[in-house]
Amino acid sequence: MFQNTKCECGHQNPTGTVLCESCGKPLIEDLPLDSPLEMRYDGVARRSQKANPDLIDRVWNFFSSVKIAVWLIVITLIGAAIGTIYPQESSFINMDDAAQYYKDTYGVWGLIYQALGFSRTYESWWFVGLLVMIGTSLVICSLDRVLPLYKALSKQQIRKHLTFLTRQQTVYTSPIELDPEEWTEKLAKQLKKKRYRVHRDGDALLAEKNRFSRWGPYINHIGLIVFLLAVLARGVPAWHMDQYVTLDEGQTKQIPNTNYYVKNEKFTVDFYKDEELPDSLKGTNRAKLFETKAVLYTCTAYCDDPVKDPVLAEVDRHDIQVNSPLSYQGLKLYQYNYEPKVHLISVKPMLIDSQTGESYGPFELPMANPPLTYSVGPYTLKLSDVFPDFGMDEQNRPMTKSRDPNNPAFVFIVTGPGLPETGEFYIYFPLPTAEDKLLEQQINASFQKSGNNSGRFSFEVGKMENVEFSQYTTYLNVRVDRAMPFVWVGAGISMIGLIMGFYWQHRRIWTRIDDGVLTLGAHTNKNTYGVRSEVASALKNTGIVVDQKALDNRRNTR
Amino acid sequence: MKRYRKPIQYIILALVVLIGGYAVGRSFFETKEVLKPGSEPPAFALADLQNEVHELESYKGKPLIINFWGTFCPPCRNEMPALQHEYEKWKDQGLELIGINLSEDRLAVQRFADSVGANFPILLDRNKKTEKQYGLKEYPTTYFIAPDGKIQDIVVGGPMSEEDIEIRIQRLFDASSRT
Repeated sequence: MFQNTKCECGHQNPTGTVLCESCGKPLIEDLPLDSPLEMRYDGVARRSQKANPDLIDRVWNFFSSVKIAVWLIVITLIGAAIGTIYPQESSFINMDDAAQYYKDTYGVWGLIYQALGFSRTYESWWFVGLLVMIGTSLVICSLDRVLPLYKALSKQQIRKHLTFLTRQQTVYTSPIELDPEEWTEKLAKQLKKKRYRVHRDGDALLAEKNRFSRWGPYINHIGLIVFLLAVLARGVPAWHMDQYVTLDEGQTKQIPNTNYYVKNEKFTVDFYKDEELPDSLKGTNRAKLFETKAVLYTCTAYCDDPVKDPVLAEVDRHDIQVNSPLSYQGLKLYQYNYEPKVHLISVKPMLIDSQTGESYGPFELPMANPPLTYSVGPYTLKLSDVFPDFGMDEQNRPMTKSRDPNNPAFVFIVTGPGLPETGEFYIYFPLPTAEDKLLEQQINASFQKSGNNSGRFSFEVGKMENVEFSQYTTYLNVRVDRAMPFVWVGAGISMIGLIMGFYWQHRRIWTRIDDGVLTLGAHTNKNTYGVRSEVASALKNTGIVVDQKALDNRRNTR
Repeated sequence: MKRYRKPIQYIILALVVLIGGYAVGRSFFETKEVLKPGSEPPAFALADLQNEVHELESYKGKPLIINFWGTFCPPCRNEMPALQHEYEKWKDQGLELIGINLSEDRLAVQRFADSVGANFPILLDRNKKTEKQYGLKEYPTTYFIAPDGKIQDIVVGGPMSEEDIEIRIQRLFDASSRT
């Protein structure tokens, strides 16, 4: 479509201009001739509007459309809402067979939901794609509007076309008796009092205030872009980590895929006393406070060595409680959960000679990585076999039922004075349960029967202080979220933009006097009551009394 | 200003394609890769019971069986003799067999290996690291790796009989003779 964009004032406007950039005369007439003008972006053409768009222009124009932007946002909102129907897969710590889980837990709908990929909505290509498109649209929409608007507002004509004034939302016309220049001077003074910036061109006047509020939406958009980029950046592996470490007391573990190791020195939990609990909860164990005394290490040598143990250097320690994480260089360890689970850490048993009644020791026997030899009094104990979780296999051979030290057993070869060179075999169960003690006796008796020992020795721990054990297993949540500061910065910028745009209004008042007839037009981007009352009060002080409601140009059309 | 309009458009659209492409592209590859026939097994360097370090890399070019096992797992224990027997039968023709123990105490591993007479290299995983790299879900899991370094077959669970093992070894050798 060919459009004549040259205004009668002689100004050549770009394609898509609604109001002449120079005098403000309407160029496109799609509204009734006496209705208020379309003042968005001051009637300037969007930056990229062109007569003959090429492919790049077409892509650009697609994203430059606010209509498209609104649709993108609506679709994203619907998608995001669907994502909340069932829990997302990412909210489960260990999910082996997602399809099975959704089917079992939520039935057929769950199965369909999972199969369609909604159980991973927020990581899906289409959702991320929509976010990327919204981001693009934000940048392009803003750029295409803010630059022309900035140009239009910074080179405004003071004397505007008469129709531009009479078709504002706030309009006043009347003959005046005073000298035009004198009256205009009077009005200028009044408007300056109301903190308007006044520009004059003979008997024409332009008063303007709070133009900066027009930049609010664009500053808001910059904030949103920063926010979106920060959220995208969380996907960069080094910027984001979220995993769980399970630790018994006294245990040190590597935080997977990092150079950090964490130790649980002690876990404590306080329960509410019965008098602190409401009646319905009395007699139940309600945790009041739980705390992991944690130490964070970095590995300094032999970190991935298959033979040597890593060398660790302490870098930080903290008593981790809920909402009080250990925080070290962006790495955060949160208290996530705990579980009562008794595990032996180490014992200090005595070697008892039942023939003489003498006891030797104690010697220290750790459950994890026990040393291979121990000297106890005149005797030497050689570790011959270890079973962290003692049991029997199908062929009745002793075996361990798991890798966890649930029921440890140790087989020692005892050598020393009065014993054969090959030594005597004894099994020892450190857990002081009746079952284990019986098993210990039975196995040692069978060793005796087969001639592997003389039944002379046994082991005894005696006092409880010789037993070190872990009562609880603690679950720590390890997080890195380096994008968070940027998320906050983005949110802050966005808030500043919103406040600028919401709490101030850009107001402009134009007047011109033609043959003793005053024409006044005023425009505000919001709060028309405010601008009408300002105009009415300024006019009153120049001697023109007018009801502020009478200034409303729209009353004729609605 | 007008002069820069086109370049600015190109720069912004290029950035969108770059950043957006990265973000969208990532969503396709987010899912953890599961080992299946045809994929390359993750590299490892682990010590055996004599503290000698074995690297997966050094086994390339030979048919290789990797058996993940633990003394706490009855089927693992039960298939050990069959594996040892097949190893003896095929090792002269170039078969390599390694057992990776599931992060147990060296002493217990040594004792068990001695008791069943397993004399192929048994490597000690530490802190379940290698096991996690391979994404094991069930024990035992056995990988049959062709000389080109690609997994040919995976057997999850057990115990395997000697025939089960033999068929797969035969296939490994067939693959190596074809190349």
